[in-house]
Amino acid sequence: MKKGFVSNMERCIGCNACVIACKQYHGLEPEMKRRKVREMDENIVGQPVRAYLSASCQHCDEPACMKACPTGAYSKREDGVVLHNAEVCIGCRMCQWACPYEAPTFNPVTKKMDKCDFCRERIDAGEQPFCVAGCPMEALEMVDMDEINESDYVSEVKGFVDPSITGANLRVKLPAAVRQVRR
Amino acid sequence: MKKEHEITRRTFLKGSAAAGLLAGIGGATLSDFSKATARAEGETQEFFNACPRNCYDTCSIITTVQDGVIKHVRGNPNSTYTNGRLCVKGYNYPRRVYSPDRIKYPMRQSAKGSGQWEQITWDEAFTIIAEKILEIKNKYGNTLPICLNKYSGNFNVLTYGIEGMMSSIGHTTRCQGTPCWPAGIDSQNFDMGAILNADPESMLKSKMIIVWGANPAWCSVHSMHIIQKAKENGAKVVFIDPIMTASASKADQFIEIKSSTDGALALGMCRYILDHKLQDDAWMEENSIGHEEFVDYVKKNITVEWASEKTGVPVQVIENLAYEYATMEPASIWIGYGMQRHTNGGANVRCIDALAALCGNVGKMGAGANYAQLDSWLFNYAAMTGNGANTDNVEADRNININNFGADLLSLTDPPVEMLWVACRNPMGQDPETGVVRKAYESCDLVVTVDQFFNESCNMSDIVLPCCTIFETWGLHASYWHYWYHGNQPAIAQMYESKTDVEIAMGLSEKLNSLQAGSCTYPTDRTMEEWCAMEMTDGAKELFGFKDWKEIFEKGTAKVTGYEAAWSDGQFRTPSGKYEFYSEQAAAMGNHLLPVYREADETKTDEYNVRLITPHWKYGLHSQFQNLDWMQDIHNEPFVEIHPQMAKDRGIEDGDAVRVENEIGYLVVKAKLTQNVPRDEAVIYEAWYKDNPFNVNYVVKAIPADMGVFATGQPGVSFHDSFVSIKKA
Repeated sequence: MKKGFVSNMERCIGCNACVIACKQYHGLEPEMKRRKVREMDENIVGQPVRAYLSASCQHCDEPACMKACPTGAYSKREDGVVLHNAEVCIGCRMCQWACPYEAPTFNPVTKKMDKCDFCRERIDAGEQPFCVAGCPMEALEMVDMDEINESDYVSEVKGFVDPSITGANLRVKLPAAVRQVRR
Repeated sequence: MKKEHEITRRTFLKGSAAAGLLAGIGGATLSDFSKATARAEGETQEFFNACPRNCYDTCSIITTVQDGVIKHVRGNPNSTYTNGRLCVKGYNYPRRVYSPDRIKYPMRQSAKGSGQWEQITWDEAFTIIAEKILEIKNKYGNTLPICLNKYSGNFNVLTYGIEGMMSSIGHTTRCQGTPCWPAGIDSQNFDMGAILNADPESMLKSKMIIVWGANPAWCSVHSMHIIQKAKENGAKVVFIDPIMTASASKADQFIEIKSSTDGALALGMCRYILDHKLQDDAWMEENSIGHEEFVDYVKKNITVEWASEKTGVPVQVIENLAYEYATMEPASIWIGYGMQRHTNGGANVRCIDALAALCGNVGKMGAGANYAQLDSWLFNYAAMTGNGANTDNVEADRNININNFGADLLSLTDPPVEMLWVACRNPMGQDPETGVVRKAYESCDLVVTVDQFFNESCNMSDIVLPCCTIFETWGLHASYWHYWYHGNQPAIAQMYESKTDVEIAMGLSEKLNSLQAGSCTYPTDRTMEEWCAMEMTDGAKELFGFKDWKEIFEKGTAKVTGYEAAWSDGQFRTPSGKYEFYSEQAAAMGNHLLPVYREADETKTDEYNVRLITPHWKYGLHSQFQNLDWMQDIHNEPFVEIHPQMAKDRGIEDGDAVRVENEIGYLVVKAKLTQNVPRDEAVIYEAWYKDNPFNVNYVVKAIPADMGVFATGQPGVSFHDSFVSIKKA
């Protein structure tokens, strides 16, 4: 069992509903985000389209945050979920700088870091993470990386971080090409 | 309902007794009192709310509340349309309710636009307003100098209390019409006798879906989900639009059309269909009148080559599209509001309607020329009803065009407008010709605005009154697209000193009568719950199988059924009872009898030669939501989308400041270069950015659309027919 996300660019409309769904569910401060939607190169599939990639913490096999943290605030569960322990965090931001995805975010109120925990209470209770459950396009999926068919997805996306650096548990479906008639 | 599992135990209450008791509002509901009163600290409750924005999707929301505070919201899975998921705007509601920017108290400004505000009490506010109303009545013998500009910022049926209050004072000046969709409404009224779209969930039954001038990814995300699902199930999805939108990016095929030429494309398709005998003669014979005349018009006047020249769409593409549309049955067309915001928008919608009817693609499951509907608005409009004091010297309200509000108001002299009441609207931000609207505001002695945030209209008001959110009151809500009917209950106590529109109406009525007995007949003694109880029609209760309206809170929502296919009974609501290719009603309103091509009245000049399209923005609905700090954290800078070729010709690079200008104004905005817009047209999304002077309506002219008067009293507005120059600033 190794938890990961699938981000389906074929369905994603770049609306940021996942970002705000997460923010309100976890009661984050206004300037905090546990997930980001990136606007990708419009020529990603040949002819121009509007393309977006939603990504949060990738719950990497080799988490850069964990290596960089001087106080041992990060841990990795058996199911792969990377957790951050605010109790021992000193808010030094080393994890934020180390993470190629800039997944850890600074909480300006507690002066500590914050990060996607895969909605651990929800998944432990058999529910979907709120971003997955809340996406109006059903463009996000929680998957068991050991079970997926790798050929259904890509792991590298032009303009996004090379996932092999940290063993990111994110797989992506690229947008489908659109037959276009332009003036 | 599926129960959520979290650290805290959640108790699902059907009603809102607990919150009501805690907050001292509302009364007993269907819910179990013992359960409510036994609620332990930290325990959560859930309530049903409904998003009241002017939106296709009008979602039923489940609100989780802990200790009287909203923790989070999610979509109500009981509505198969909302599907348990909200849009980006909907997920912002917890922040909207608790935003530090919310208007908390009645406020008075020393002079419009001065920024010199002082907090006043509700009693002071009501006194100032009531004294002005009575002064007007004494001076003129009527209340026509009071103008009401109210529309769609909140579509809870109870917000119509403001109309009810005005009607209870006497006759007033009303902003009539609708900026959104009137040209298309007229078209469908002429053709079919009403607007009546098929249940959008039926698109799953379509073999082909053509989305014509709509951007559901941003403006109706739950329909976009349905379309995407249909596509993944094998339906062919085609988007026709001048812009490669986020929606069109999901299509099988995107056809870029020259703006405002949609009717030519539809007619070109009709010609191909007729030439290849793909039309449904039997359907037309049985269900329509005037088809011979229409066929004759197309054969004599239209060629595919002509259509290609008009639209910029190659002949081969038009032919293929026509062939597929006529043969992939059932095929659904979604006619967007964007494509009718032109000087020929209504005529274009009629051409598309005719295309659907020609192929018999009307009245069948998964088919239709789908635009909008109002059949599910099963309300009594009790709050809206007012029986005037009948003490004035005029017979009727005086109507002005909501789409030319500024100029129309300024033109009134007998009597002039002295007092303006604005609710559920932001004319200073959203109306075309901002400069003229400003003058209209300045011309009024007293401008009263009811709102939640200090937007451009508040800035030009004398008195601003705070209204509460849907989470703080009762309500019933319907969509003009899907067929779900929602209940809304108070999840939390009313915030600060905010009131509902009906409470404001009642408060003002009380003050008026205390100053002059009998001067306002609006009731003053009902609770919001009692008002809400009056709104659900007996027909709705019967349809839903309810004995009591509050049974809506069993699931939060109920579906108005029977519309899986629109017009399946063949009973069109036209004078002939048939589909009318040949419409005498259209002709009586100054339009052509037939769905013919109407040339656009372009205001293009040598200097101002770039068409400016001003569509809706994904992080807001008009001037709502983009101002919230959660949205600002995602995006907070307006921009103009221009094609790299257009930019190159003007020496503009990505990120440059550009000056967008025409005869009526200008704005300076950041350039975003993208190949997703036409080479010869520019796109600026309309929105209100807090603390930013940006407003695209400084360059949008109040040009009337060709239709709208028949069904809505006033023509639509051609939002996408303004032309500008674009230069590096």
